[in-house]
Amino acid sequence: MTSVRPVAVVGGATTKFGVRQATWSELVQEAGARLFAAIPNLAASDVDSLFVGAAEPERFAFQSHVAPLAAELLGLEPHRIVQRTELACASGQSAIRSAYAAIAAGLADVAVALGVEKMNLPSMAEANTSMACVMDRPWDGAHGATAPPFFAMVAQRHMLEYGTTEDQLAAVSEKNHRFANSNPEAQFHEKSFSREKLLRLPLIAPPLRLGDCSSMTDGAAAVLLVSGELARKYTDTPAWIRGSGQHASWHNLANAGSLTDWTGMRIAAREALGSAGITASQLDFAELHDCFTISEIVEYEALGLCKPGEGGAYVTDGRSDLGGDVVVNPRGGLLGCGHPLGATGVAQAVEVYRQFAHTVPPARQVPDPEWALVHNLSGSANVHSMMVYARGG
Amino acid sequence: MPALAVTKRRAKKAPRAVSETAAPKIEVPTERTAEAPKKPTTLTLLDFFPQEESQQTRVSRFFTELRAGRFMTTRCPKDKKLLWPPRVTCPQCHAEELDWVELPQRGHLYAFSALLAGAPLGMEADLPITVGLVDLEGVPLRLFGRLVGAPWNEIRVGQRVRVEPFDLADGRVFYRFHVEG
Ligand SMILES: [Zn+2]
Repeated sequence: MTSVRPVAVVGGATTKFGVRQATWSELVQEAGARLFAAIPNLAASDVDSLFVGAAEPERFAFQSHVAPLAAELLGLEPHRIVQRTELACASGQSAIRSAYAAIAAGLADVAVALGVEKMNLPSMAEANTSMACVMDRPWDGAHGATAPPFFAMVAQRHMLEYGTTEDQLAAVSEKNHRFANSNPEAQFHEKSFSREKLLRLPLIAPPLRLGDCSSMTDGAAAVLLVSGELARKYTDTPAWIRGSGQHASWHNLANAGSLTDWTGMRIAAREALGSAGITASQLDFAELHDCFTISEIVEYEALGLCKPGEGGAYVTDGRSDLGGDVVVNPRGGLLGCGHPLGATGVAQAVEVYRQFAHTVPPARQVPDPEWALVHNLSGSANVHSMMVYARGG
Repeated sequence: MPALAVTKRRAKKAPRAVSETAAPKIEVPTERTAEAPKKPTTLTLLDFFPQEESQQTRVSRFFTELRAGRFMTTRCPKDKKLLWPPRVTCPQCHAEELDWVELPQRGHLYAFSALLAGAPLGMEADLPITVGLVDLEGVPLRLFGRLVGAPWNEIRVGQRVRVEPFDLADGRVFYRFHVEG
C-alpha cells in the first residue's frame, strides 16, 4: 500500500438510530444536513463523488437507483463517481472502502460516503423475509435461515468446544449497552442492562436471548473523505486510513469453514494490520461487528487479541473495556446503537473520527487514541471487511 | 396475488400490528402427494423456495429425483469434488459437464438452534423454526436444513437425522431433516 495517495476521513455525522418515524429518504436528508453542519468548510460544490451504502432499499423501501436520489437530497452533483455499494451488513463500510480506493487511486478528491437503512416496516414479518434473503435464499433461506439461528449455532459450538458461558455472552451486551448510555444517537441510549437482567430476557434463538441480538434499526450516517493535501481545509484532526483488508470465500452454509474459528477474519486482519504496519496489540480501540454477543467473542480471537477459546474470559476480565487492552465498541456497538445495515459501517467511522478528535463524552473517550480498527462481518460471517485508522499528526 | 392482499389488509390496520394476518401462507402438508407442480402461488419477491421446473432451472433433476425419494447433487467428473447445492459448473476446475450422484440420507447433527420469534412471511405458523447443520454419513458434506420430528429443547448435538422430502402447497417439492429418536 505504498504507491497510493494518503486518504483521510475529515468529519462525519449520524442520525438518531432507532425505530424512527421517518422514511428512507428522510433519514438520508437528516444525515446529509448533519454532515454539512459538522464540517463548516464543506461546500456541496467541493464534492466530486458520492458512495451510498444501502443493503436492501429495494425490499425495505421499494426503491432502486438510490445513489442519484441521495445526491439530489444532499444537493450534490457528483461529476466523477456516483454509485451505491451493497454488501449486506457491511454495505456502509463498502461505501467508505470504495471512496478510499477512488481517492487513493487519484480518481476522486472529495467524496461523501453515506450509509442508510430503513428496517422498521408496518409488517415486521416482511422485514424478516428480506433479512432471510441475505443467505443463499433458495437453499438456506428456504429452511428458515435468518441470522439469529446461525449465530446461535456459533454460540452453541463455542460453548461446546471451549466452555463459553451465557454469562460471558451477557458481559458483552452489558459493556456495549453501558457505552451506548453515553451516546445519544444510540437506539438504546437510555436503557440500562445489568448482566442479571440480560440473562432473564426471553430466548430468541437458544442459547441467544433478546439482549444477545442487535436489533432492526432505522438510521443513516455520512462521512467526508478527502485526499491528503486537502485534509486541513476541513479539520485539524483527520483520521488517516492506513490499512485495509477484506475476505470472502463461501456463501452457502454447506461450504462454510469453522463456526468458531473465523479464518476469513484472520486473513482480513493480516491484510489490514499488515498494510498499516502494526499488530493488533497496538490498537487503542476497535469497532468490532457485534451483531450478536457471540460475534464479538469470536472476533477477539480471530483478531488475535487472545487465543482461541479465551474470548469469553477476555470480556469478563475487562480486557475489552476502558482501562483494558483494547477498548472494543466504545460507540455502544451494534448491540447498543442498533444495526441499520447500510449505516452501521459509516457510523463506526464517525466514532473513530470523534474519538481521535476527543469530542465524545468522557464515559466512552478512549485515552489519547492513536490507532483504531473498524470491522464488519456480513451475512453468516462469510465476509469480513476491515479498515485501520491512525490519528492525524 | 398474495402481495396485493398484504397491501390491502395493511392499509386498514395500525402500523406494526400486521404480521400475523398478512402472511401469504405456504401450506406444508405432512403427507407427500404425487401431484405434479402447479404454478408457484407466491410472487417471486416473497418466495423462498427454489424454482424447480426445467423452464426455470438447469438442475430440475434434483427435484424430480427428490420426488422419487432420491437425494442427489452434482459432482465434478475431473476432480471428483461433491458440489452443494447442485451446480451447472465446477467452481474448482470450471468444468461445464457435471455428473449426478446420489447422496446418503442419514447424518448427524453438528449444531442446531431454533428461531422462537421473528419469523419471515409464510413461516409464522412454523415457529419455533428449528434448524441445524447435518454431517451426512460417509461424504464430506455438512448441510443446513429445517429439523422436524422433535421439539428443539429435546434435541442434542450428535443426534441422528434423516433426509425427508416434503411437498409445498403448490406441488413443488423440498427437503428437510427428520430427527430420529
Ligand atoms: Zn472440477
